Amino acid sequence: MHPFADLSAYLDGALPDERRAEVGRHLAGCEICSARLAELRGTARLIAGLPDVRPSRSLVPRVSVPVWMAPLRTLSAIASGAAVLAFAASTLLASASLTSTGTPAVAAPAAAPQASLDRARGAGGAAASTAAPGPAGPQDASSPSAQFSAASPAPAPSANRSVAESDREKRLDTSTTAPPVVAEKGPTGPEAVALSVPARPQLGPSPWLWLLVAVAFAVLAFVLQRRLRTS
Amino acid sequence: MREASDTLLDRARKGDARAFEDLAREVERPLFRLALRMLGQSADAEDVVQDALLAAWRSLGSFEGTSFRAWIFRIATNRALDRLRARRRRPESPLDPPLGDDDVIWSEPSAPGPELVDIAGDREALVVVETALATLPAEQRASLLLRDVEGFAYEEIALITTAEIGTVKSRIHRARLAVRNALVAKGWQGPAG
Repeated sequence: MHPFADLSAYLDGALPDERRAEVGRHLAGCEICSARLAELRGTARLIAGLPDVRPSRSLVPRVSVPVWMAPLRTLSAIASGAAVLAFAASTLLASASLTSTGTPAVAAPAAAPQASLDRARGAGGAAASTAAPGPAGPQDASSPSAQFSAASPAPAPSANRSVAESDREKRLDTSTTAPPVVAEKGPTGPEAVALSVPARPQLGPSPWLWLLVAVAFAVLAFVLQRRLRTS
Repeated sequence: MREASDTLLDRARKGDARAFEDLAREVERPLFRLALRMLGQSADAEDVVQDALLAAWRSLGSFEGTSFRAWIFRIATNRALDRLRARRRRPESPLDPPLGDDDVIWSEPSAPGPELVDIAGDREALVVVETALATLPAEQRASLLLRDVEGFAYEEIALITTAEIGTVKSRIHRARLAVRNALVAKGWQGPAG
């Protein structure tokens, strides 16, 4: 009986030793089986010689991060952080300028020298200070309201102040009975602050600038993240 | 080469993504040529190979064998067979008809006639081989390609296709015989003819 079913396995060296020897002995004396074995060998060679094919693109999934992309990831994280910080700064600045609305930018500094001036003078006229708060009160109360009404034009408050000051100088020069008292300056300060006008230039750039910076960093972080994801 | 691959495999197992990519590049083309001959469509074959490589990377930690090549071929072959089953829309039906004992027919060479195209050279023969392969049952086709093109041993093919070694032997023999018959039907006279 011809060992046809084992010829492929024989060809591939996949038969157990004993069976392999048997088939080998048969092949030595059987032309038909030898011819068929040769055909199978020829077929296997043709299959092995099929033209090679290549994919149209790389099929290797990119599971590693390229060298140049490692700093990109860090940069993206930094940009995200910077965006948050800049946004927080813009919010803080915006709220700070909101709570101080009505105070002229110069109001606080203006009040301070005035107060020290008054303190210095108050020392001189301490005896008379308690005597007449009357005129001083109205005068000081009118000062902030005047400042508030003239608040929008920037130079106005300082002009106003100088007017008020020179006014006061005059009164002092004429040795009036009512030198301003230190205690009276207390209410003026906070009141002035509460009524202050927008931005304080000494706090740095406007909130809008910070917001712009925040948006710029956010966009940068977003773009970097996208780039990282697609690669 | 072998040692280099083993080192790469060790590094990849430890999570070295670059080592895995190098390993994947070594098997990318062999996987694609198997997938293409299994599926017949380049786009499908590319998808299957890419999916298989990605799946291999994700489950590399659980791979405990020694042959990365056999392992990745197993993943890709299974995916290709799954895709063929999905195409048939009857996932439960077997891809191959059950194998009989020894009912394989060796067709006799036709008597040369004027209408019969003689296969003059390998080039024509290869076209016949491609066509014959495409008509083979999927699991026979996979087994034959794994043997004759990729050079896997029967034991490895049994692992790759999750089959008994006797089944592998039978599939390879039937498949090779079917290709031989197709060649003979076109007037092929055997390796010397």
